[in-house]
Amino acid sequence: MRRLFVIVILIAGIVLTLSAQYQDRFKNTWIEPGSGVTLPEFDAFDSVDGTVGVLNASGPVSTEGNPFFTALGTNGRACVNCHQPTYGMSVSTSGLVERWRTTEGKDPVFAAFDGSNCPGLPQDQEKSHSLLLKRGLFRIPLSWPPKNADGSPKPVEFTIEVVRDPTGCNTSPQYGLKSADPTISVYRRPRPAANLKYVTSGGRPIVLKTGMLADLDPETGNPVGMNLMTDAREPSLKTQAVSAIMGHEQAHEAPSRQQIEKIVEFESQVYVAQQAHIFGGPLAVAGGPPALGVAALRDRKAGVLGDNDYDPVFGLFTAWKGNDYYRASVARGADIFMFRQFWLRDATHINSIGLGNPLKRTCATCHNAQMTGQDLSAGWVDVGTTNYPTWTDPSTESSELPVFKITCNRDADPHPYLGRVIYTTDPGRALISGRCVDVGSIVMQQLRGLSARAPYFANGSAKTLREVVDFYDRRFDMKLTDQEKEDLINFLGAL
Amino acid sequence: MRRFGLFILAAAAALGQQRNFVSCPIVRDTKTVPCFLAEYEGETYYLGIQQDITADFHPPQLKHEVLVEGRVKPGPRVCGGIPLQPVSISVLKEVNLACNTLLPPEPGIEAPPAPRGPGPSSRRPEGGPQAGSAPRQPLTGRQEFTVLYAFNDDYLEYAANQVVTEAAAYAKRIGASNVKVSGYRATSLLSNGDRLVEKAGLAEKRAQNIATVLRGLGVSRLVVESKSDAEPGDGQTDPSRRRVTIVVTP
Repeated sequence: MRRLFVIVILIAGIVLTLSAQYQDRFKNTWIEPGSGVTLPEFDAFDSVDGTVGVLNASGPVSTEGNPFFTALGTNGRACVNCHQPTYGMSVSTSGLVERWRTTEGKDPVFAAFDGSNCPGLPQDQEKSHSLLLKRGLFRIPLSWPPKNADGSPKPVEFTIEVVRDPTGCNTSPQYGLKSADPTISVYRRPRPAANLKYVTSGGRPIVLKTGMLADLDPETGNPVGMNLMTDAREPSLKTQAVSAIMGHEQAHEAPSRQQIEKIVEFESQVYVAQQAHIFGGPLAVAGGPPALGVAALRDRKAGVLGDNDYDPVFGLFTAWKGNDYYRASVARGADIFMFRQFWLRDATHINSIGLGNPLKRTCATCHNAQMTGQDLSAGWVDVGTTNYPTWTDPSTESSELPVFKITCNRDADPHPYLGRVIYTTDPGRALISGRCVDVGSIVMQQLRGLSARAPYFANGSAKTLREVVDFYDRRFDMKLTDQEKEDLINFLGAL
Repeated sequence: MRRFGLFILAAAAALGQQRNFVSCPIVRDTKTVPCFLAEYEGETYYLGIQQDITADFHPPQLKHEVLVEGRVKPGPRVCGGIPLQPVSISVLKEVNLACNTLLPPEPGIEAPPAPRGPGPSSRRPEGGPQAGSAPRQPLTGRQEFTVLYAFNDDYLEYAANQVVTEAAAYAKRIGASNVKVSGYRATSLLSNGDRLVEKAGLAEKRAQNIATVLRGLGVSRLVVESKSDAEPGDGQTDPSRRRVTIVVTP
């Protein structure tokens, strides 16, 4: 027993020593709106297994009066509430739980409008914010049917019913589907407001996945990449900012043009990537893998296809194929990501766009954009995170999330793999497009700075990177060994 | 009279080599990319291999029946099946869970050489026109562009997308006085004598979709029309009638 105690103390000592080597201090800083702090050009924050780096490429940023850090609405929130540098410009559940404790639930991030399960619930109770505290999910209320830019209703190909409503919001007479302003509430993670030159790249006139015109940037008239949001509902950073201020911040007046430009200017120069690993040390090192660290994100070109073996999605990891345990594991993980073949099956907008079902390929087939691992074309895909039989959530009877029944019209094309009746916790892109084929399709996320911003997937269903890897192993029957899973986790954690 | 008789014989021979049928696709794994097969009247036919989105052949899908319209290509079996070439593949929209056959690799059964294997691509982007390839003459005068579709489908797949883009570019370059978009739906005559007719309204939907895309690409002076009746099927050229034509007039 005494020997065990000594071993535990020794291990703890080693971990603390190694940790101290790569972190100047134990740092976990929540920025409040209007705090007036100045962000340095580069900063590093504790993440799950090392540090995440945040680079302001234009130099130190004074948050004083900067609209990204200023509450512009009525609920005290600013953009920074949900896009914190310390959490990779998103926000993690650990950070939210800590914030609940520190402020006794008074922080504007817990605003009744969308920081609780439903505005009508008693806001002082933790359980009213359970989806945010347990899964990092904010309520996204969307008009049903969806509307065109001129406010007219879009044609839709299906009917939608609420079959389970654990939050009470979708059946609420005030906020629900049968309210005076029919609304569907879905619950989603905030995406990182960083590395955005990559996220917004790739606009082409015709969307490969639909054969239809891409949305246009209302300011420039140019087609956009449609990879910005979970359901691609906002075409540009500017329209997203306006929508977020009017919605998440509950502003009564639209922000000024100068405010929006200032927000976009800040967002467009922030880069986030894992900077160091607790055992592996600094990740962006001379002669090492070229895509690691924030400087690489700042310097590389956006909109480059990486599904190839000569200049892969995250570069070559050849330099790390040595004896160092951690680095060798990351390099093996990179190889699995790029080269490990498996059967991609029944994934709408992958198998259904002419590639065949099944498709024998690799992770990089879909996660093909260099530096971020998003899809270079408009990237909404149904891999099974929200539609039943779901691979991430329990049955319809015990789901923490609302469950909707979608019934496709007879003259519409059905969902390619689930047919005409679909049960889902989030119809995804279909809530915007009104198309049956899009039910459950979610826009892929970037894979950078992951360790700082758990949980994962748009519905926060994977608490750890292990659960992400387990999901894909289950979903596509990849038959990964424990070693391969560890390698993939180390690889993803290094991004 | 003799010439007419020869024509009838030739037509019958051609029809004899044609295979038009609906069945579940079969996927055969190999050491490289999978082959896609289908069975008809006790025989296995080879349809093609897994390729890329830019390829001419787009494989069928498990969980769906497929309409195969192809011609028997003389020669050895490929991937265990009699090759059909040219072949048109249409994935039928409704889900059919019975279509779920994935065969493991088998010694002696190999896929033909694939431009791209199952891993990441090894082809580097082309830097310009291929050496030796003749430069393409710029289009002039009245031009007709044809967009082809799978059966009962209005999805503008990659190749069709290129056709529309080219038509739009041409119309804008010459300042076309008129761009006529005509939509059609068609009938497929199967080898067993059955006829499959594309759904009503599809011709108009195809034409309107193309017109919308052309407008989005900056084309004006559009005239959009569609033929509501389905084109008849002859069992040989049916895939070529599932179409939209874009006629650009200077």
